[in-house]
Amino acid sequence: MSDTDSQPLFFGGRHYFVLFVLLCLLTGLIGRALYLQIVEKEFLANQGGQRQIRTIETPAYRGAILDRLGTPLAISTPVDSIWVNPSEILQNLPALKKVTQKLSINYSHSVDTLRRKANKEFVYLKRQIEPELAKQVSDGIDGVYTQREYHRYYPAGEVVGHLVGFTDIDDKGQEGLELVYDNWLKAEPGARRIIRNRKGAVIEEINQVRAAQSGKDVYSSIDMRLQYIAYRSLARAIKYHAAKSGSAVLLDARTGEVLAMVNQPSYNPNQAKKRVSGQRRNRALTDVFEPGSTIKPFTLAAAIDRGLYSPESTIDTSPGWYMVSGHTIKDFRNYGVLDLASVLRKSSNVGASRIALSMKEEELWQSFNDYGFGKPPGVAFPGESSGYFRHFTEWQKLDHAVMGFGYGLAVSITQLARAYAMIANQGRHVDVSLIRKEPEPEIENRVERHVMSAKTAKIVLEMMEQVVGPKGTAQLAAVPGYRVGGKTGTAKKSSAGGYDKDNYLSVFAGVAPISDPRLVMAVIVDEPTQNGYYGGTVAAPVFQEVMSNALRILDIAPDDISSLQAQIADKEKGA
Amino acid sequence: MQQMIWVALLLAFVISSALTVIYVKHESRVLFSELRNVQKKQDQEIIAWGRLQLQNSTLATHSNVESRARKKLKMKLPETVQLVRLP
Repeated sequence: MSDTDSQPLFFGGRHYFVLFVLLCLLTGLIGRALYLQIVEKEFLANQGGQRQIRTIETPAYRGAILDRLGTPLAISTPVDSIWVNPSEILQNLPALKKVTQKLSINYSHSVDTLRRKANKEFVYLKRQIEPELAKQVSDGIDGVYTQREYHRYYPAGEVVGHLVGFTDIDDKGQEGLELVYDNWLKAEPGARRIIRNRKGAVIEEINQVRAAQSGKDVYSSIDMRLQYIAYRSLARAIKYHAAKSGSAVLLDARTGEVLAMVNQPSYNPNQAKKRVSGQRRNRALTDVFEPGSTIKPFTLAAAIDRGLYSPESTIDTSPGWYMVSGHTIKDFRNYGVLDLASVLRKSSNVGASRIALSMKEEELWQSFNDYGFGKPPGVAFPGESSGYFRHFTEWQKLDHAVMGFGYGLAVSITQLARAYAMIANQGRHVDVSLIRKEPEPEIENRVERHVMSAKTAKIVLEMMEQVVGPKGTAQLAAVPGYRVGGKTGTAKKSSAGGYDKDNYLSVFAGVAPISDPRLVMAVIVDEPTQNGYYGGTVAAPVFQEVMSNALRILDIAPDDISSLQAQIADKEKGA
Repeated sequence: MQQMIWVALLLAFVISSALTVIYVKHESRVLFSELRNVQKKQDQEIIAWGRLQLQNSTLATHSNVESRARKKLKMKLPETVQLVRLP
């Protein structure tokens, strides 16, 4: 037995046969391996890739539009759309039934639709639903998928509709700030190539094809608190006076930032289908009108600035009318001899046109041009108007005369507010902005050019205070505790063939507080038909309501406490 | 003899480097799946943030606040005579 232990058995032929077979198998395997690795390599790699490698989109958000304090005016939030592959889902009708129930859509109707579109691979079941609901619906059901989309919401709705505008279904800005700052707001979705495992879970990222670029936020200059008050006030006035339309603009007098800009009629940007084009216009920037008497402070300022008149000068306006090239310019009644402040306070057309005629055409044109009439507000808003202001070489004598009280030229309410802000800002040019500005240097250190001397601006400002005073045309604009100044305007509306008899524009523009102007507001109400039509009765109360609230909200200290104390003392005596 | 040592050394390097590659690859997948989870969470948080923002701005609409203050809480602006000036 020891022999067999030490000497392995050798079966000769059998041994070689087994070796041969094994060798054959090995050669076969190596051959196959070589074939797959070399000849078929590319094809197989491709096929494998197709099953595992996917390019997926990385989401990016459109930037938000916020008010100056960060309250959202327009934000994008993710929503999901449910889509199905008809050929897959039609084989699983009970599942479809469940899905339709959850989405609260008609089951038999969707089955019909899907049967009709059976040759398609992609059919929406329901678009833009809450992501949570979408997840519940699509989880664990083959053939039901979700697609990430973004919906733009406008929480403030119609209060800032005109200003913010809206986007289309592809998230592109269509109107308002959404359009103006589209490049800044818009998002660029990224793309990444990833490897998925058999279950569809992402296991590795190969590379990033494109980085996702979320949109940047835009801080507008609007203060929602003031915007809301302005909106409410204007809407109420439009209703009360049964007017056609109206606008109001509230500016920060120092920086030119638009704190509130409202229009009536308005629209809700959330309701895409209900947008009527006439309601979509931001009238405060697009519509122009003849400013009427609200221009008078500038006529006076131009004359005072040129040294032609001083606050003490007087003008004889009797008999209350006079003729210029066949047309009568007349006052409400014969005011007799007036000083400059009274011309403004009583709103004398004769006085204002005489002052206008005391300047050369060129001089008047130059001053008004400097004050910004005929120049766009420069906020790059779609449809923004630069108004209508002809060059003096095209003027007739009548144009020259009526220009002094606001006819023969047209401005937008924003241009008018800008001009008043210039007076409030010690005669310095003011840049209107719809975007929040960085804090500005103190007023003494500003470099903006003077378009009117500070002295003239102060004189005119104090004259405007008398308009709001006890003998003025705008007593309803007075804000208790504050010195307020402004000017009313009641302009006849022009139409083809002349001026309408009964159609008026009621305008008021004003500044507060006079001792250190902070806010400027201009209001226009178009065609008031009930309860009066004078600027002092229609537009001034809107100014009063918004201004008194704005002064309180912005913590601007009263500069006329003595009048408040007098009022309190009166009441206490009575009580 | 010296040659043999070099070969052995290099072999050891190759093997350890291969093992490191395997380890790093594994590590990267683990980290990647973690990243995915965090991204998913971020996505959910963004959804929630958007919803909360909307909810907040709907509930805090100025008209809503005003009508509640006036009707429910019976608040009103003080009249001039009710003002007291602090020294």
